[in-house]
Amino acid sequence: MTDFIKRFLPFVSLIALCVVIAALEPKFLSGGNLASVARQTAVITIMAMGMTMVMVAGGIDLSVGSMLALAGVLGAKAMVGGSPVIVGILISVAAGTILGLLNGVAVATLRIPAFIVTLGALGIYRGLALLVTDGNAVVGLPQRFGLLSEADLFGLLPAPLLIVIITALLTHFLLNSTLPGRYCYAIGSNQEAARYAGIQVARYQVLFYTLLGALTGLAGAVETSRLITAPPNAGEGYELRVIAAVVIGGGSLNGGQGTVTGTIIGSLIMGVLANGANLLRINPFIQQIIIGSVIVLAVTFDEFQRRKLESSQS
Amino acid sequence: MKLPVSSLEMRGIAKSFAGNVVLSDVNFAASPGEVHALVGENGAGKSTLMKILAGVHQPDGGEILIDGRAVKFARPADALAHGIAMIYQELSLAPHLTVAENIFLGREPLAVPALGIINQRALNERAAKLLSEYGFRLDPRARTGRLSAADRQLVEITRAVVEARRVIVMDEPTSSLTSSEVLELFRIIRDLKSRGLAIIYISHRLEELSEIADRLTVLRDGRAVYSGCRGEISTDQIIAHMAGRELKEIFPPRRTQRGAVLLKVSDLTRDGVFEKVSFEAHAGEVVGIAGLAGAGRTELVEAIFGAHPAESGTISLNGATFNSVAPASSVRRGLGLLTEDRKRTGLCLNLPVATNITLANVRALLRGALLRRRVETEVAQQFIAKLHIRPPVPDRPAGRLSGGNQQKTLLARWLYAGSKVFLLDEPTRGVDVAARSEIYRQINELAEAGACIVMVSSDLPEILGMADRILVMRRGRLVAELDARQTTQEEVLKYAAVEEEAPKQ
Repeated sequence: MTDFIKRFLPFVSLIALCVVIAALEPKFLSGGNLASVARQTAVITIMAMGMTMVMVAGGIDLSVGSMLALAGVLGAKAMVGGSPVIVGILISVAAGTILGLLNGVAVATLRIPAFIVTLGALGIYRGLALLVTDGNAVVGLPQRFGLLSEADLFGLLPAPLLIVIITALLTHFLLNSTLPGRYCYAIGSNQEAARYAGIQVARYQVLFYTLLGALTGLAGAVETSRLITAPPNAGEGYELRVIAAVVIGGGSLNGGQGTVTGTIIGSLIMGVLANGANLLRINPFIQQIIIGSVIVLAVTFDEFQRRKLESSQS
Repeated sequence: MKLPVSSLEMRGIAKSFAGNVVLSDVNFAASPGEVHALVGENGAGKSTLMKILAGVHQPDGGEILIDGRAVKFARPADALAHGIAMIYQELSLAPHLTVAENIFLGREPLAVPALGIINQRALNERAAKLLSEYGFRLDPRARTGRLSAADRQLVEITRAVVEARRVIVMDEPTSSLTSSEVLELFRIIRDLKSRGLAIIYISHRLEELSEIADRLTVLRDGRAVYSGCRGEISTDQIIAHMAGRELKEIFPPRRTQRGAVLLKVSDLTRDGVFEKVSFEAHAGEVVGIAGLAGAGRTELVEAIFGAHPAESGTISLNGATFNSVAPASSVRRGLGLLTEDRKRTGLCLNLPVATNITLANVRALLRGALLRRRVETEVAQQFIAKLHIRPPVPDRPAGRLSGGNQQKTLLARWLYAGSKVFLLDEPTRGVDVAARSEIYRQINELAEAGACIVMVSSDLPEILGMADRILVMRRGRLVAELDARQTTQEEVLKYAAVEEEAPKQ
């Protein structure tokens, strides 16, 4: 019974939220508005796919906002320097991959808590992004690059949404139907038990941080395309929204729990809340209070579930 | 025999945990100026009895009397208020605080009581005075975490002395001390005695008792089976009292066909934990490793498995030497460790039973990159049926199973991994009778199929009933190798508990 609630509570909340907003403001359901919700949440959702893997494995990465800016800036510089658009995008992805790999290696080999390692990385990557741009946004990007965020497939499906769907399907497949996915849950559930079962824990931890980095690099390209510039202060505070998406969707800071569908719903709940509040002309400061309260509620619920499970074990 | 008037008396103490009787009708007393030793095998109930005295557990029956008046300890603070202090086996000091801060933790002298501001100078002065009074050469300002194990033990004792006005309980106080430090501790104990404190002394090391104990009580299976003056009983008689456990199980018979040597361990050493351990284990054989708590048995099997590698020595499997540095490489070579602590190092509690069973061999479920969940469920169902895991539900979280079913789940993991050498560390601890006999049956089946089993157990009837050969460890060394068919519980205990070398066969 509680499993059932746990699984469907975020989904039910999302539906209820949509119904309430649509009742108060019918414009919410218009195609244009829904497409804009999708565009606005795409960057966060893409990163949250990677964060789901890292957090299911019991880790965390606070540096993703800075990483997004650095990857975006590097890709943009290449394009401004004359590289084709596709090369610029690939450079962003590659930069994110390398930065994620560095985080993973530091967490797995230094044996310092991921929170601390990536808190340091948050500062380092932001500093690097400011350093390579001298603090100025990279401008003069090719027109075609805008298509990454603006194009509509068949006039219906916004390109960022397509990217979200593809990354979500791949992440879902990885977590549920592959060896690394299985080890991801095992490591997050009980790292020592995973090690005693013969799993090379460090190797897989590095893999998940690297995948998060790659997805963050991709999100960086989408964000740059959306803004049509690459500011070095892009993505500030995104790490918290990404982590919140995972947690609202049923992921646990203690590891071993979390799903792709849950995280998508978590990200949508935040996106719909922000969009609905705008439509209903709710003070944006109050929006922040609402989203903050939702996070605390979600974590409280998770914690109660965990305690209940633990007391039923002893 | 006439007893002096006791300052502390426990009468008819009974305690059960989840239907398991741990103590029944135990009488125990501690008199001022006397050292009362409490001995018994692992699991005899010593710790539970002392935890009741300390107010950690409440007895189901019986009473505690102080100077003839009944008292109730609902929480540890109540016991402390009556002057009963405890020195636990696992050190319980805050490593970042100084010696003085640890000694007076919770009763700091205050400069401004209303604001809770600590009088640091008084704290250090009082600590220095106490330390010099007992002749401990310790700096009250030193950080506790930087001290040696022996010095930390002294801090614990000093703290207990501050708290105790009546009784000090010492649980295995010598386990981390060198022999000269042990002599020092005995000097301190005599001093405490002369100040009129009662001391309850728990030890596995029987040779220490003739030196320090005045009175002695033997616990076995939760009952006090002997109580009297130390001089009235010989060490052999103590062992006989400790060992007379009843056989609760009937061990299924096994046809042992000893094959080639599968596991060979030579001179395995980790400083201060185990030293120059060498043995061989054959295919088709069950080798038992007996010893008391802290003898280094768990550490030894974890080193063989590579979870905590040894510092020197060699391990070979099937004739090939290998460096056991990580479980991953050991598992690939066909080693499996059923851990002593299944919640910490065994199970992923929130994940399904099926996942826990297949965890060491997920690769067998792959087709290409795809993990075949249907095959996994079938595999899980097979092992659930084979080992009678209850409830027979593959997707139930392992944490919701009983201890016995959790243990069977972990055994299934190594069966599915196709292990050749099974290291079983306390395979039936916290396991109900039905699951026990299931585990024994599986061990026999494995051995008959040619696997090699190394079983650490503190349960003497179990090790005598299941093993072909018994290796006895004491303080990190293998001190005896015994033929399980010819030895007795008394003989095993004697090697495990008494300082005396035996010729290896």
